[in-house]
Amino acid sequence: MPRRSLTRAVPIVAVVFGVGASLLAAQGAPAKNPLEGDPAAIKAGMGIFRARCADCHGVDARGVRGPDISRVWAEGRTDSGLFQTLRTGVPNTEMPSVGARTSDVEVWQILAYVRTLAAPGPADPPRGNAENGERVFRANCASCHRVNGKGGRLGPDLSRIGAARARDAIVNRIVGAAEGSRPGYEPVTVTPPDGQPIHGVKKNEDLFSVQIMDSRERIQGYEKDKMKAVQDDKKSAMPPFGSDRLSQSDLDDVVRYLQGLRGFDPAVKQ
Amino acid sequence: MRATIDRCLRIAGLAVLVGAAVVAAQQAPPAQVSEQEILDGLKADGSRWLTFGGDYANQRHSPLTSLTPANVNRLVPQWTFQTGTLGNFETTPLLRDNVLYVTGPQNVAWAIDARTGRQIWRYRRELPPNLTACCGLVNRGFGVLGDKLFMTTLDAHLLALDMKTGAIAWDATLEDYKRGYASTLAPLVVKGKVIVGVAGGEYGIRGFLDAYDAQTGKRAWRFYTIPGPGEPGHNTWSGDSWQRGGAGLWVTGAYDPELNLLYYGTGNPGPDYHSDSREGDNLYSCSLVAIDADTGKIRWHYQFTPHDIHDWDATEVPVLADLTIAGQARKVVMFANRNGFYYTLDRTNGKLILAKPFVLTTWAKQIDSDGRPHLEPGHVPDEKGEITCPDITGGTNFWPPTYDPGSRLFFVNAREVCAMFYAWKPDYKEGERFTGGAAQRVTGSDTKAIGALRAIDPVTGERRWQFEYLSPSTAGLLSTASGLIFSGDADGNLLALDSRSGKLLWRYQMGATMHGTSPITYMLDGRQHVLVPAGTTLTAWAIPAP
Repeated sequence: MPRRSLTRAVPIVAVVFGVGASLLAAQGAPAKNPLEGDPAAIKAGMGIFRARCADCHGVDARGVRGPDISRVWAEGRTDSGLFQTLRTGVPNTEMPSVGARTSDVEVWQILAYVRTLAAPGPADPPRGNAENGERVFRANCASCHRVNGKGGRLGPDLSRIGAARARDAIVNRIVGAAEGSRPGYEPVTVTPPDGQPIHGVKKNEDLFSVQIMDSRERIQGYEKDKMKAVQDDKKSAMPPFGSDRLSQSDLDDVVRYLQGLRGFDPAVKQ
Repeated sequence: MRATIDRCLRIAGLAVLVGAAVVAAQQAPPAQVSEQEILDGLKADGSRWLTFGGDYANQRHSPLTSLTPANVNRLVPQWTFQTGTLGNFETTPLLRDNVLYVTGPQNVAWAIDARTGRQIWRYRRELPPNLTACCGLVNRGFGVLGDKLFMTTLDAHLLALDMKTGAIAWDATLEDYKRGYASTLAPLVVKGKVIVGVAGGEYGIRGFLDAYDAQTGKRAWRFYTIPGPGEPGHNTWSGDSWQRGGAGLWVTGAYDPELNLLYYGTGNPGPDYHSDSREGDNLYSCSLVAIDADTGKIRWHYQFTPHDIHDWDATEVPVLADLTIAGQARKVVMFANRNGFYYTLDRTNGKLILAKPFVLTTWAKQIDSDGRPHLEPGHVPDEKGEITCPDITGGTNFWPPTYDPGSRLFFVNAREVCAMFYAWKPDYKEGERFTGGAAQRVTGSDTKAIGALRAIDPVTGERRWQFEYLSPSTAGLLSTASGLIFSGDADGNLLALDSRSGKLLWRYQMGATMHGTSPITYMLDGRQHVLVPAGTTLTAWAIPAP
């Protein structure tokens, strides 16, 4: 997939070839990435991306704890808009600004590299019924996942999931094909000396203590030496929803619903 | 609810392994924070600290007695938490169910495991780059009710955060920050409403106190600290000066549930020093206002400094108590003011019971029987400058005092500092500084600036004892029923003193001053802890377990 994008980008190289540094230094971001397709820029951008972005967005830009950014162009974002996003960060999320020490050239290099990872627009037309999907979600998911301020807190808040994950990533997570849990949601069992095991998800941990949200949503810290056992659980707190639990059409519906979740505006209208 | 929990467990896949027996064994999470818990204040079991002043009276006096003057020197640190952000704490942390809820500078906030100091969640607000908030990008703490925490922001919003995750539940706009409004105080939660005010007295704002529905974030009422046209007190401002007269509200007030009154101290009028444009008393600047908690209507006011020209905000912490004065039971509010006077007022009607300087005051030596200061000549700032005591920071300021109902003593960190005050005519430009002058601490061989922790008898206004610091402290206080006071000096020392004598019992160099912060205390796993915000750190102290 990345290769295909790269070849598609080649003709543009000719257009921007020869753009000098003086242009890059000009005030305001140009509408198009002046370094798109430039092999040296792509190589430099790869280094910066892997060092500073891949932790959250994944080495393949398909998203880990941060969003899938391989489809941003397919979804209609522009080079100059993305440049601004990197410059300012995304308010109220973990996405920081690249910082003043990162030059405009470096920002364009990052984008030139990400462009090579970009996926084409979705081939399949959207399918599923979001309205029924919301019903399916309320019945099966909402006790652990929050959307727009409603629902459980044991699992991640999904209010932005449609902007953060591609369709296949959402599907894989639901059917149990995705491995592991993101930080803050790893399953753990704490056994006090005189009580039954407490199951929950891990919010923080060091050598001596662990902080969890238990399955009844109590947040609490425990000192390891005072517990009988503190054990990481292998199974995700999220159960797989295979075809035995969710029909193909319900799956399509719930995914369609999730794809429409683009963020929660908590602003109070007075 | 029950069904939801069961389903949650089933879906979580945890029950698959462990079965229903375990479900019952999971310790039930505590009920949501109730209004009764806040009303109850600091309980003898020491299990919580749920509002800025510990209780609605703002006494900051803990009933805990495990730590005593005899054993306080055995305190050792349990952990230290570092903010990792620029700027210093001015916060009062809250504690419930062994979890601390703490706001920091730049509107960063945390839930922290009180046992270990480890972070459970962190919230960070993206602040606009052109923020004009005066006097530090600080915050003074959370309010709490139900499953929500409430925090004011430097861009003049009020946020409700989910206590369990730090996620925003709602976000209400107080005012446009671009016009000089900001908010830094800890919200006070009263009868399902979140009470907040705005800072910005140096930016030509018109101050107000707001109440928001804790569930929805909808505004219930607004009280302007500067009366509009047709309202009583409007004629205490000449021309249109009321529109940008300041009188911000940036320190949490007190609440009397029986009288259903909120008590808030208001900020300085603007421009701060050059006052030709605002002839009159400038109500309700530099006042204590008593506000009906249901309606936001003013019941009474007492103006400490009519027509202030020295930037002496009355944004100190009001403290409520019931006293016997001249054989009569009196409901009072105690107030040590930036202008250098200590006041005891009748909180049912705002009448002055007594007022007495607690530091050197050169601008007025006494408060007359009509409640107004008897002004001394020659204390009007001009371009050449005039020397007045106290200085701009004042005899005290926003750092919290305490009151010990056992010994009936009011404790406050006082400053003995004088300043040269200057004034010149300012031009108003929206969102820009609008002070019309400046002040500079007077230094010289015959003028030493010192500070002292002072114990004041609120019935007589007399000083019972003092503990003198090398230089003026800006730390808040905590007192306990066992006779301890925790304070900080200007040099980074955390101090424990005997509250009956003022004798120093124990000290520790924190490496940063407790600027505007008070320690809090609570019981954790059977041991009394003292939590100290200082600089960029929070440190928890306790006597080691046997």
